[in-house]
Amino acid sequence: MDWIETIINGVLLGALYGLLGLGLALVFGVMRVVNLAHGEFIVMAAYAGALLAALMPGVNPLLWVLPVAVLAFGAGYVLQAVLVNRTVKSGDPLTPLLLTFGLAVVLRNLMVEVFGTDPRALDGGAFTRAGVDFLGLRIGLFPLAVLVLAAVMFAALQWLLARTEWGRIVRATSDNARVVRLMGVRPNRVYNTVMGLALAFAAVAGVLLALRSSFTPYSGVERLLIAFEVVILGGLGSFWGAFAGGIALGVAQLVGQKLDSNAAALYAHLLFFVVLVIRPTGLAGRSS
Amino acid sequence: MMGRLLEMDSLQVWYGDLQALYGVTLQLDEGRVLALIGANGAGKSTLLSAVCGLLEGEERTRGAIRLAGAEVLGRPAEALAHEGVALVPEGRMLFPSLSVEENLRMGMLTRRAGHWTLARVYELFPVLQEFRERPATSLSGGQQQMVSIGRALLSNPRLLLCDEISLGLAPVIVRQIYQSLEQVRAQGMSIVLVEQDVQRACQAADHVCCLLKGRVTLQGAADAFDHAQIAQAYFGH
Repeated sequence: MDWIETIINGVLLGALYGLLGLGLALVFGVMRVVNLAHGEFIVMAAYAGALLAALMPGVNPLLWVLPVAVLAFGAGYVLQAVLVNRTVKSGDPLTPLLLTFGLAVVLRNLMVEVFGTDPRALDGGAFTRAGVDFLGLRIGLFPLAVLVLAAVMFAALQWLLARTEWGRIVRATSDNARVVRLMGVRPNRVYNTVMGLALAFAAVAGVLLALRSSFTPYSGVERLLIAFEVVILGGLGSFWGAFAGGIALGVAQLVGQKLDSNAAALYAHLLFFVVLVIRPTGLAGRSS
Repeated sequence: MMGRLLEMDSLQVWYGDLQALYGVTLQLDEGRVLALIGANGAGKSTLLSAVCGLLEGEERTRGAIRLAGAEVLGRPAEALAHEGVALVPEGRMLFPSLSVEENLRMGMLTRRAGHWTLARVYELFPVLQEFRERPATSLSGGQQQMVSIGRALLSNPRLLLCDEISLGLAPVIVRQIYQSLEQVRAQGMSIVLVEQDVQRACQAADHVCCLLKGRVTLQGAADAFDHAQIAQAYFGH
C-alpha cells in the first residue's frame, strides 16, 4: 500500500515537473532556442507570488497564479522583442544560448540583491495540507489539483496549436520563418507571443512549486535542470512527451526517496541518464 | 484601358562585392503574363526576391520597383503580401507540419478580398479537396505544386510571381499546371513566370524577358522571336 501511495504521489509531483518543462519545450520547438534563464523566471514568478502574498496577506496565494502568469507573459514578450529576436536572426544557435546564460546570471544576482538569500516559501493555507483518504491511501488535495491544472494546461496548449489560426501560424513559422513572411506574417511577433506564453507557463509552475517547497535566488539552476530533463526525457519538442517525462521524473524521485532518503534527486537524474543512453530521442521522440 | 502594374527601373542588386543584377528595366501591365527566362545564375530568382521583398538587407540595391505606381523596393515581404504580391516559391516550400487545407489557409491571412476562395481553389484543383486533411508534404510533387499555387491565390494578389513551377515535374503534370494557370489568368491575374522551359514559358506568356548574367539580353512580345534569337539571348553565343 505504501508503495502505491508513493507512486501516486510521484505522479502528482511529476505533473508539476511536466509544467516546469512545458515552456522550455515550446520555445525550443518553435524557434530552436534553449532558454537557459528559464529556471530564473520560474523563481522570479515564485518571488512575485510571495510579494503579492505579503501585500495582501488575507488572500489565498493560489489566486496569485493568474496575475503572475499575466505578468510573466508580458515579461516574455518584451524579452523576446528586445533581446532574443536579435540573436535568433544571427542564425547561430550559440548566440541565444549565450544571451540567455548571461541573462540567467544577471537575474539571479538581481534577486540576491533585492530579496536576499534566505529561503522563502509560500503558504497556501489549509488547502495545501488537506488530503482525502481513498481505499486506504492518503492523497493530497493540492497535488491532485495541480495534476488536473497541468493536464488542462497541456491540453489547452495542444488545442491552441492544433486547432486555432494562431496555432497554425506558430507551426508554419516553426517550419519556415522565411516563407510565412510571404503570407504577411511577421515571425518576430510570433516568437514574442510564444516566449510570452512559455514564461506564463513557467510562472504558473513557479508559483505552484513555491507552495510545495522553499526557494532561494539560486533555485533556478535546480528548476532548469528538472525542466531540461523533462523536455529531453519526453523527446525534444513533444508536449505530451514532456508531460510523461515529468511524471517519470516525479515517480523516480519519490521512489528514490523511499529507498534512500538522502538521495531522492539522484534517482531522478539516474533515470534521466539511463533513458538518455537507451533512447537518446526521448520517450515520445522519433528514433532517427 | 489596362493600367501599368509593375515597373522596374534600372534595378541593380549586389551580394557583397558580387553584382547579381546590372540595371534591369521592365514593365508589366495588369492582366498580362511575363515570362522571365534565363540560365541558372542569370539573376531571375534575385529579381523575384526583390519584387516580393525577400532581399534580406545584406544586399545593396539601386534603382526602383513600383507596384501600381508606389515604390516597393526595400519594403519587407510581410508588408508586400498585404499590398497584393504573392510568390509561388521555387521548391514549393509547403509547411510540413500543416495539412493541405491548413497550408491553403495560410494564404488567407492577408485577408484581401477577391475572386479566390477556398471553394474556388478546390474547383481549380479538385484533387486537393480529396486530400485536404493529409499532411501537405505527403502529396506528390505535382499536387504539392497545386497547394503552393492555391496558397498564393488565396491571398487574392494583384501580382502573382511563380518561380520554376515546372521544375522536377512530369510533362503531363506540367501541362495540367499550366492549364490551371490559364484559368487563373482568365480571372485577370497579372503573372510573372520564371521558367527554365523556354518553349512552355513563351506559349503561356504575352511578353518575354531573357536575363543573362544579370543583364536583359532580349525583351518583347512572346511570339516576336524565333528560336535562334532566343538561344542567342539565353546562352550569349
